[in-house]
Parts: sequence; structure tokens; C-alpha cells
Amino acid sequence: MRIEAQGIGKKAGGHILLRGVTLDFPAGGVSVIIGPNGAGKTTLLKILGMLDKPSAGRMIYDGRPAHGLPARDKTALRRRMGFIFQHPLLLNGTVLGNMRHALSLRKRPFEAERVEEALGAVGLAGKKDLDVRVLSGGEKQRLQLARALLLEPEVLLADEPTSNLDPLSARTIEDQLAALARAGRTIILTTHNIIQARLLGSRLFFLDNGEIVQSGTPGQVLQNPATLDVAHFASITNVLNGQLVRTGEDASLEVGGAMIHVVSALAPGPVAAVLRPEDILLSREPFHSSARNVLTGRVEAVSDLGMFVLVQIRCGEMSLRAAITRSSLQELGLRPGETVVLTFKASAVLVFPVD
Amino acid sequence: MGYFLEGLRQALKLLFPPSRELLEIVGLSLLVSGSATALAAVFAAPLGLFLALVEFRGRRFLIGLLQTAMAVPAVLIGLVVYILVSRRGLLGFLGLLFTPGAMILAQALLAFPLIAALTLAALKDKARDGRDLAYALGASRGRMLLTILRQGRFAFLAAMVAGFSRVLGETGMTLMVGGNIKGATRVMTTAISLETMKGNFEIGLALGLVLLVVALLVNVVLQWGQGK
Repeated sequence: MRIEAQGIGKKAGGHILLRGVTLDFPAGGVSVIIGPNGAGKTTLLKILGMLDKPSAGRMIYDGRPAHGLPARDKTALRRRMGFIFQHPLLLNGTVLGNMRHALSLRKRPFEAERVEEALGAVGLAGKKDLDVRVLSGGEKQRLQLARALLLEPEVLLADEPTSNLDPLSARTIEDQLAALARAGRTIILTTHNIIQARLLGSRLFFLDNGEIVQSGTPGQVLQNPATLDVAHFASITNVLNGQLVRTGEDASLEVGGAMIHVVSALAPGPVAAVLRPEDILLSREPFHSSARNVLTGRVEAVSDLGMFVLVQIRCGEMSLRAAITRSSLQELGLRPGETVVLTFKASAVLVFPVD
Repeated sequence: MGYFLEGLRQALKLLFPPSRELLEIVGLSLLVSGSATALAAVFAAPLGLFLALVEFRGRRFLIGLLQTAMAVPAVLIGLVVYILVSRRGLLGFLGLLFTPGAMILAQALLAFPLIAALTLAALKDKARDGRDLAYALGASRGRMLLTILRQGRFAFLAAMVAGFSRVLGETGMTLMVGGNIKGATRVMTTAISLETMKGNFEIGLALGLVLLVVALLVNVVLQWGQGK
């Protein structure tokens, strides 16, 4: 099913939650709506799933506007979709009772085999006679997913399905979502987990303060963040607040007494800049490179994060974080208090205007 | 203290075995208050649910009105019902004054705002979650309402128990419109009131014990419902 949102706005209790959101979800693929808490992700997802009504704009399903449809047709549309709530919503009773009731609400027959299969897929096969109140948060969320799997929706809407979950439950849910996507189902997912968005997403929409501020493939959005907020989400990052200075063709950022070469078309004045830790090279001595920024700093702290090592370095009034591999750390033998050379390209520094 | 214990002993004697008159009083109490609660709940519970589910202009005003109605003294409701059902009143033709019918009407009016407000308070979040859940699972509107009822049954039960307890223990208003007529409109509270004034403490105590047992039973049912 193709879902289109045209100029969706939502007001509630005097607050504007969404403003002019226009999105197109063709059938198939995983679309990820990412954004900070309070951006309006849940509200938008509920409107997409016909669980809430927009105050402005219209929703279109397979080319037909939903507005003004008779109740019977709305129910029929909802039955083609599945929804996973951020805070699991379960029916009173047992795990099996939830599955049974879900089928009965869609007027579908109870097939024990398929119920077993769905529960097994999320690792709840042995818990089917338990009351849902004794389930852990992760189990409740997995039950929601099993219930959705059982109903075989064309479109699955999942609202931050893995937030606050143990790693195992989160992994189970991610794997099942990926499997559904491979099977040709449409998945629309909200998250504020950038790794999840990269892992699962084929399209990424960045929602901030009720507006879509950027969309594209995860790679496009994360490589070229359109705003400072998007950049914040893109990774662990260094944010530099300073003045943009222009000398002829050249632009540089004056920050804490240091001058950093940047590439920017912005007018001179106060700006914010983002520098990714993985774009900073560390060495003991300066080396010949085309990178125009070479700074000297003192190591403040070294944190091993497993996948990489984060080195905190003080350069005058600036504190920068650089990410290096564990083997580079051993080669360099960096310890707090030692001097280190930082090298990075002018184009690695992303400059944003400040309001 | 000895005086009280002697009264209590006499009261227990009245209860085991209970006299026919005592049974009638208890029976009428339960019938009147039960019917009144049911009558009020039929209108109040859907109103509470509606207020919990639907956003509309004037919703806050209506909730404020309900809360004000809860503070209306029972005796005022008694007065209004008395005027309504007295011979020249709007409902005078029904001949309800000094009948259980008038008592049920008055008690239902007393319970109505309480049940509606308690249903609303208990369902505020549950009703919307229930609606989202039911619709997400593909329920029709009718099945959606049934799902909320099922998910929030304890909330409905608790609101009704509170309403029942309130009207069962009501005295002044019930006396005004019922008249405390022996064998016709005498209920536990009006009987206790009368017998105490006559100095028959043992009958008052016996009925008081029954009231306590009823309150206990109702709450046991509520606890059981909560555990279910």
C-alpha cells in the first residue's frame, strides 16, 4: 500500500505538533523518521496509521483520500496496517489471549500453528500462558511485534520499538523488522537511534519541531546534514562555536584564539561548526598532507568504546574528540598529558549559521 | 462501655436469626441503592467514557459542571426531587412521593455526577490507549468500545462501587422523599436514625453491623475484580 501525507498539520491543546508535513511512502522498503524527543514523531506515525486525525492537510492511501470515508472503509484500511506502540499496549489477559483477541478483532480464524510460529519468531513460545502483567518490558514489546506479525499487515508502523529495551530484545525486533522488509512489506519506523536508522533504513526523514527538515537515503542525510540538529544526530561530534572570517577566497573559523580553515559560502559572522571525530587524524609528529588544518594539542583522556577509541584533546581553549582504532592507539602509545598533532581537511568542518 | 457491649449483644441476638422486618429493611436498602446505582451508571459511565475519549468545545466546562454537581448537598437534591414528585410537581402524576421510586430517583441523581467523574478520572489515559490499541488491531467502532470496556472494567466497577457506597449510606435525603414508612420505604439508614431517636440502640447497632458487612462485601468484590 502506498501512503501519502500532504501538508499534514496537527494542533492539540493550543500547541502546534506538526506543520505542513508532506511525505510519500511507496510500497516496500524501510522508511525511518528520526528526530529528537518532542519532534512530533509519535503524532505523525499515529496519523499515518489512521489512529489520529490531522488538523490540516490530507492522508491518501493507494490514491484515495482517507478524509470522509465511511467508517467501514476506514476500518478496512486500518486492517491492512499494523502498529507497534512505543509503550507496549496489550490487552488484559494472557500472551495467547492477546494473539487470539487480535485475530478475532480482524474477524480472522484462530490457527494455533501460526500463533506458535509468530510467538516463536520473537522468542516467546514458552510464555504463551503467562499473564501479560508479569512480562518484562522487552517481552511486552516482543509480544506487540508477534501480534503484528500474526496479522500480516502490508504496512507496519513501529514507534520507537526498541527504546528502553535490553540489547537482546532490541536485536530480536530489529532482525524481525529487517526480515519483514526483505519479504516485501512496507515498514515505517520512528527512532532516535542513528545506528538503527543506518542499519534498517532505506529512506530517512529528519523531523524536527513538527517539520521535515531533511530527507534522503541515510548516507545522504548523514554525510551532508542540512542543519546543526541533524548533524548532532549524525554521530558523536565536535561542535565549535566561533566567528567566520573571510580573506579573499578563503574562509576560516576563529574559535578560542585558533584559526581553522573551512569551506563555506556563508557571510562572515557568528557560526557553529561540526567536526566528526573520525575525520581527525592523530600523529606524534606533523606529516606531509593535503589537509590544511594542523593543530597541536594535549591528550586529556582516552576512552575505549569497543568499536573505536575516543581521545579527548585540548587545543588551547578548544576541546576536541578524535576517534581512532585500537591498533592506532597502541602504535601511537598515547597517554593523558602527552602532546599530539591533529590533522583534518578544511572540508571536514561543516559550518552552519546560528540563529 | 458495658452499656455498649450489652447493646451489641442484643444486636447480635436480633441478627441471629434475623427478624422478618429486619430482612425487609436490609432487602429494600439493597434494592433501592442497587437500582439507583444501576440507573445512574447507565447514563454516567458512558458520559465519563465520552468525556475521556472525545475532545470538543465545552468539554472542560462540562467536567467543571460535574465536579460542582458532586458538591451539591444531598438534602438539596432531596428538596428538588420532593418538589418534582409531590402532587403538584412536574412528575406528580406518577405518584412517587414516599415510595421506593422517589428514593431511587433521588439516590440516582446523587450518584450520577460521582460515577461520571470517577469513570472519567480512572479512564482518562486508559480509554485513549484502548481506542488506539483496538483501532490498530482493526476493530470496528463497536468492538473498539467493547475493548475499552474490557480493558477498563475495573475502573467502571470502582466508580460504581463508590456510587453505591455513597447512596447506601445516605440518610437525610432518603428520609425526605421516602418518609421512612414501616414496611414500605424504611431502609437501613433511616431505620437507624429513627430507632436511635427512640432509644432502641440495639436495632440501630444491628443494622449498623449489616451496613458494615455490606460495605466489606462490596470491597471484597472490588479487590477480587482488581486481582482478576
